[in-house]
Amino acid sequence: MIIIPVVCLIVGLLLGVLIQQPLRGELGVYMAVACLAGMDSICGGLRSGLEGKFRTDVFTTGFVFNTLIAFGLAWIGDRIGINVFLVCAFIFGQRIFNNLSLIRRMWLTQWQDARERKRTQQTV
Amino acid sequence: MNISHKVTLNSPAFAVGGLAVVLGYMLSTAWITNNARLAYRDPDQRERIAAGTLDQQAKIQQQSEEINRLQSELTKIQNAVSTNRDSVKVINESLQQVKMFAALTEVEGSGITVTLRDASSSLAADVPMEALNIHDRDVLKVVNELWSAGAEAIAVNGLRISVRSCFRCVGPTILVDDNKIGTPVVVQAIGNGEQLKSSLSMAGGIYDELKQSSPNMIEITETTNMTLPAYAGSTNFKFAKAVAPKESKSDKSS
Repeated sequence: MIIIPVVCLIVGLLLGVLIQQPLRGELGVYMAVACLAGMDSICGGLRSGLEGKFRTDVFTTGFVFNTLIAFGLAWIGDRIGINVFLVCAFIFGQRIFNNLSLIRRMWLTQWQDARERKRTQQTV
Repeated sequence: MNISHKVTLNSPAFAVGGLAVVLGYMLSTAWITNNARLAYRDPDQRERIAAGTLDQQAKIQQQSEEINRLQSELTKIQNAVSTNRDSVKVINESLQQVKMFAALTEVEGSGITVTLRDASSSLAADVPMEALNIHDRDVLKVVNELWSAGAEAIAVNGLRISVRSCFRCVGPTILVDDNKIGTPVVVQAIGNGEQLKSSLSMAGGIYDELKQSSPNMIEITETTNMTLPAYAGSTNFKFAKAVAPKESKSDKSS
């Protein structure tokens, strides 16, 4: 299951590299913030998948809206002279860390459970 | 993975996959954009521009000589024509005056010579490195001070300063108009020598400033007789037009 998003991510990366279309000026900064939002959404989706609470509509709208909001906030921040993109980077960074650590714990638990089950089967 | 049983190959996988493609594209684009931005800010751009000018130096030199030759020839022709009739002679006199003012003729006279050098070493330890080199602004200050003290003609390293002249630091050299010069920078000015000298060495002026950095950076000598060349840069007008006298102007507007 984890293979599909990873493969898709690599496909997307290659697509970007092949198209080689740098964004002009400030748009690059906003794009970087939007990337963080996207990464956050993907991590969030992975976590809720592991928790069994995954909902496609929530995930899809979350990805699109968070990305757009991050982009827009960074843009408006530049217009009014506040580095809102730092706030976005901070918030999304924290969320990515949280999600990833939760994912790690869940995988750890799954792995330990599997080993425990194997051992009990062997003893039985 | 046990969730692969729960989440089979239906919409969630495609949603996650599709958006992962989008995210990947965004990531690599942001990366490329950042690299492109860094490349744009390349700090050696100025030096590359300087190098570009370097290739042109020989050509510029040659053309300057040509311009000087043509200018003096023009003066000669104007003088020759004027010997025929008195009215033409008067007109030519005023023409020559204007040309002299515009630095288009060679001039001679007495005045001062200011030599600016990069400091070889500084006596004071706390002088920043930047202050030990002669910059465009130093030359500019000297020239400005000389004009304000009543200099009538100025040349920098044998390049006559006209109303269109400019000074600019590019890399390690200074451009006077399109010509590269290096240190020592020799500024020659025709005018009242004493007056020019005292104006430059005014307290807190450029002389003091450079002397403080290093005593050998500036040297002022009075010169009794020197010849300054004519300005050899561009003299044509592409955009500015002389405003016609009133009566002919009303003809045009009708």
